[in-house]
Amino acid sequence: MYKKGLQLKPSGSGTAKAAPTPTSSYKSGGGGYDDEDDEDFDDEDEEEDFDEEEEDDEVDQDEYDDDTGDAMDTGADDNSSKQIFLWSRKPVPNLNPRSNSLIFQQLEVDYAELKEPVEGMPGPKAGSRPIVRLFGVTKEGNSVLCKVHGFLPYFFIACPPNFDVTHCKSFKEALNEMMMSKMPSQEVTDIVVSIDIFQKKSIMGYNPDPLTPFIMITLILPKYVTKCRDILENGHKYFFEIPGQPVRQYQTYESNIPFALRFLIDKTITGCSWVELPATTYKLSTTPVSTCQIEVETSLDTLIAHSPDSGEQWSALAPFRILSFDIECAGRKGFFPEAEKDPVIQIANIVKNQGEQEPFIRNIFTLKGCSSIVGAHVIPHDKEVDMLKAWRNFVIQVDPDLIIGYNIVNFDLPYLIGRARALKINDFARLSRIKSTISKVKSTHFSSSNLGTRESKEVSMPGRTQFDLIQAIQRDHKLSSYSLNNVSAHFLKEQKEDVHFSIISDLQNGDDDDRRRLAVYCLKDALLPVKLLDKLMLLFNYTEMARVTGVPLSYLLGRGEGVKVLSQLYRKAMKEDFLIPTYKVSTKGPKYKGAIVIEPTTGFYDVPIATLDFTSLYPSIMMAHNLCYSTLIPAEEAKKLQPTDYTLTPSGDYFALPRLKKGLLPRILEELLSARKKAKDDLKNETDPFKKAVLDGRQLALKISANSVYGFTGARVGKLPCIEISRSVTSFGREMLDTTKRIVESNYNIANGYKHDAVIIYGDTDSVMIKFGVSTVAEAMELGRHASKEVTKHFIRPINLDFEKVYYPYLLMAKKKYAGLFWTKPDTFDKMDVKGLENVRRDTCPLVRNVVSVILRKLLIEKDIKMAEEYTKSIISDLLQNRLDISLLVITKALSKTEYKGRVVHNELAQKMRARDPSTAPNLGDRVPYVVIQGLKGAPIYEKAEDPLYVLEHNILLDTQYYLDKQLKAPLLRIFKPCLPNPEAIFNGEHTRTIAQATLSTNNKGFFGALEKKKVCMSCPNTLTDEESTVCKNCRHREPDLYQTCLSNVTALEDKFSQTWTQCQRCTGSLHQPVLCSNRDCPIFYMRTKVQFDLVEAKKTLDRFNVEW
Amino acid sequence: MFEARLLKASLLKKILEPIKDLVDSANFDCSPVGISLQAMDSTHVTLITLLLRSDGFDSYNCDRSLSLGLSLVSLNKILKCAGNDDFLTIKARDEADTVTFVFESPKSDRISDFEVKLLELKNDQYNIRDSDYSAVVKMPSAELQRICRDLSIMGENVTITANKEGVKFSVSGDSGSGNITVRPTTDTEADLATTIESKEPVVLSFALKFLSNFTKATPLSPTVKLTISETDPIVIEYKIDDIGYLRFFLAPKMD
Repeated sequence: MYKKGLQLKPSGSGTAKAAPTPTSSYKSGGGGYDDEDDEDFDDEDEEEDFDEEEEDDEVDQDEYDDDTGDAMDTGADDNSSKQIFLWSRKPVPNLNPRSNSLIFQQLEVDYAELKEPVEGMPGPKAGSRPIVRLFGVTKEGNSVLCKVHGFLPYFFIACPPNFDVTHCKSFKEALNEMMMSKMPSQEVTDIVVSIDIFQKKSIMGYNPDPLTPFIMITLILPKYVTKCRDILENGHKYFFEIPGQPVRQYQTYESNIPFALRFLIDKTITGCSWVELPATTYKLSTTPVSTCQIEVETSLDTLIAHSPDSGEQWSALAPFRILSFDIECAGRKGFFPEAEKDPVIQIANIVKNQGEQEPFIRNIFTLKGCSSIVGAHVIPHDKEVDMLKAWRNFVIQVDPDLIIGYNIVNFDLPYLIGRARALKINDFARLSRIKSTISKVKSTHFSSSNLGTRESKEVSMPGRTQFDLIQAIQRDHKLSSYSLNNVSAHFLKEQKEDVHFSIISDLQNGDDDDRRRLAVYCLKDALLPVKLLDKLMLLFNYTEMARVTGVPLSYLLGRGEGVKVLSQLYRKAMKEDFLIPTYKVSTKGPKYKGAIVIEPTTGFYDVPIATLDFTSLYPSIMMAHNLCYSTLIPAEEAKKLQPTDYTLTPSGDYFALPRLKKGLLPRILEELLSARKKAKDDLKNETDPFKKAVLDGRQLALKISANSVYGFTGARVGKLPCIEISRSVTSFGREMLDTTKRIVESNYNIANGYKHDAVIIYGDTDSVMIKFGVSTVAEAMELGRHASKEVTKHFIRPINLDFEKVYYPYLLMAKKKYAGLFWTKPDTFDKMDVKGLENVRRDTCPLVRNVVSVILRKLLIEKDIKMAEEYTKSIISDLLQNRLDISLLVITKALSKTEYKGRVVHNELAQKMRARDPSTAPNLGDRVPYVVIQGLKGAPIYEKAEDPLYVLEHNILLDTQYYLDKQLKAPLLRIFKPCLPNPEAIFNGEHTRTIAQATLSTNNKGFFGALEKKKVCMSCPNTLTDEESTVCKNCRHREPDLYQTCLSNVTALEDKFSQTWTQCQRCTGSLHQPVLCSNRDCPIFYMRTKVQFDLVEAKKTLDRFNVEW
Repeated sequence: MFEARLLKASLLKKILEPIKDLVDSANFDCSPVGISLQAMDSTHVTLITLLLRSDGFDSYNCDRSLSLGLSLVSLNKILKCAGNDDFLTIKARDEADTVTFVFESPKSDRISDFEVKLLELKNDQYNIRDSDYSAVVKMPSAELQRICRDLSIMGENVTITANKEGVKFSVSGDSGSGNITVRPTTDTEADLATTIESKEPVVLSFALKFLSNFTKATPLSPTVKLTISETDPIVIEYKIDDIGYLRFFLAPKMD
């Protein structure tokens, strides 16, 4: 793609000729350049097949032809005005607040304190007040800052007895006085703005009574809310009492929701939705504080929110600008780069508009000269200070809405900001859209039960959303390593050259071509996030998630799951005058029983097994039984009601029936699921790939949201836990599974006229596997469909047991561990489905995963048990002879804590590596790769773990027995147990009798200087005389054979080496420069290194024959 | 055809005792000269060499050299079936994949035979360069065993300081430190005498874990010979009556 697209596509028109385009003169050595990548990328293009694509290409092509002449020297010197023009957004079309309405899609929402009122806008007469800032983009691609006036923070407490409107004034004064004394401030005259009484109801518990009065407390600034809540919750600590009331603790309601989110909820604006300011209701800011093209002031009341499902135009995405960047720094040998000491040497940037196929800017800022790169604009600088300043200007000019990259939040951005501080470039950190705001780096800890604890940094940058791909991928995908290499290999099927940062300095200090090499690498690192974003549809999926759940985009990566459900709950509750209490978080709470499994009857089933699933099990239970906060009836209350008014759940909790009160959660779920159904229907009929992507993202977001509601009620550290709901859900689930088993087994049997007795061989949470005994897939499907309808009749709608698939054959090993061929049509199978086995788990080595996959394929698809057994034996034999590739044996584990209780393998190794070289050692949150090497007998495993690279370099022998016994044995036994009479035989037998043993490694010279390799006959243990070099006199007759074997061995290794080498050259993109890559995630790298060693050894052996031609 | 007969099966048991915890499996190389074994532990810190000369056997017959790759774990299990006074015969056919152990009780009233499958072990063999020594210490093997046992209580590493006056074994650990010095003796009989030949003073450290393991060979010989030099591994040699020796090479600890 470097060849095709030029990075500078003018966003205006008619500027093509003047465009400072990169040169195409760099041809030499670029012959094989990135061939691989081009193909891959093109493939993607075809898949997505966007409408605009062809046009874009043509435009690019035209430019390219016109401009090849003058481009070379347009560096950073004489071009600033032209360049800035090209980088900038399109000029704003004439905008008249009197006659034009302003419509934009908001992306980022926050608030600021404004010192003085703006004329004509609502709010207090004087003093500080909050304004909500909406940052967004118009359909035309202009950036917008919309400042909304008049929204103030508030929360509720229940109205105590005998408190009425007449007491409001004295309460307000008392509270205000208390607040002013606790948090004195010159900015505001009054902290408490108003006290009002509203008729509301708490969401907790079924309450048939009409609404009751609640006191709404409105404050001037969000920062006062926490204190004020504390005063009311703990009145006795502050000696505070509401005038006329005794000192008591008040339960507060809705007092812990982020201010910006509260605004979105109240105005029914969802994340990433379109907002309209009708003509005359807004005005342009007189003194703009931002770099946005359009900056307006408006009032809370006149703003119109367009719901994304209210029309096609409102579900579209505006053309946001996406900047992807990557930096390189020159570290010192042996140290990880530190911003205080090590310079930034290159910054690569890719800018693209959402909705366009190709990026329109690809450039790289370099320190010192750099040879030109086809398809990218090289901007060299002599001084680092100049480069950083230029880059900052570039960012401001480009004005991106979304900044993406790989690990930018934890590394690149903090590094740049830290570096600029070290170099005393004061203005550098003004990267945000607010001119006066300096971006600051903050360290945070994020921990959730789902993702574990992660140390992370947060860079404040109002107006620009940071979307770090590593965070998104860590959230959504379970991978063995989250390095960019591994991630792109996994999703894009592209390996990339990994230049170790200790080599970076050498390249930087070389000549222009060396720096070009680095630049190409850096550009690739900036391009890959863009490709990942496209490939994984992240932008669509995340914006749709923001729209469905109503939270801003940035919340999705920065916060947990809870806030998403909370936002929906607030929105629903508000419409019905419900108030949500603010609970103190406590980690304690009763445990409840989880889902159930029907004990599996293990075996290898060579008959079709029908599988019935409950569709959306947990949401449908909540809907069917009306489980909600607002329908929960305390046990003593239930006694007062008629048994026909409530449901008693299997866990012993009471919930009101829908005819008394329809719960909020069931209604939220109903909406989510019907919206999903609609989105799926639309998806079927939609042809436009962009809209398809949006719809697909939406249905996925809706599904995830529906499923997370159950988790929200069960999360004990969440915002509003309710164990009664979650335990009722799981108990219903258990009961339903049992019912299903009973019905199926009692109906489909010989007694009822069927040919066989149906047996439930396994059931888990939401699915049951039934052996009907029939021999064809078609029959099993028939019965499965029939049974699903039959069973569904026994449950309350919308609970639905659905026939989904047939497994045939089916290998059931243990609970949650099974494999089978997946049939949805009677004629061909769809795929092989494997659950819970080592080939999908990531805490084992690739060898186990590979072997398990191959065996399953042989067993299930080829149905050849003998072959599977033979294959396994050959692998074991290779393993014991140390003939396997080391990359297959690498195990990775995440280093998730700084301190472990016991001595755990990966932590011990990380410490060992740190002692060796702190710069390459793994850090907290990294996944540590290791292999197990031979150690002393009985030595604990943590002493035997070693860095794979170190093992390769020092030729250390692996503990093959460990891999056989501890890694391979259990999973293989599990698979073979149902198939073979004596599975243990696989692990001993002839094939295990040839073993490679430790040879003296080169690093041991110091210890064993007294030793030298003995020349021994190649076929018997006799020592050779000085004249003999290969075999002793007794074994002469075998010499020719041995020579043959040796020769073919060398040839095979040579072939393998050149293959791997070619592979690496391709990846590097150059045929006549050494390959520098040391990519630890790349299997080729390990293979190449190992083959290299083996080849040297094999050659030595061959040389002993001393054959002269 | 290979066949060798030992008058005492217990000899093989004693030999195996110090080796089996260091290596899992090893090649017994049989040649007309005798049976030899060379093995390195998997951490590459020690090298074990064993030689049993053919003339030390009751009868010995080997036409062609061959390697018997054996799992020491299984060998040890088999030897447990032999009585201490049993005769032992080892038999293997040329190019065979099994070896047979025959135990005969002294009165010939009980004969048992075991066939063991062979392993094919791929490893390198090494020549051991003769090097200059700084000190050669001969001492009662039981004494060395006791020193190692006593010092193991205190720490993990032992520092050996040897000069003309004596050999000092010192250890230090978390709980304290200790020294044991052995001086040359002149008056006692040859087996229990301690002699020191010292060219130059030498100080080296070793892992006690390994030394203690070597001293399991004590039943093989009443005396043990320590050859210490600054640049090479320490050599600990147990002579086996009239038939050969068992030697351990141990690399010194480097700091």
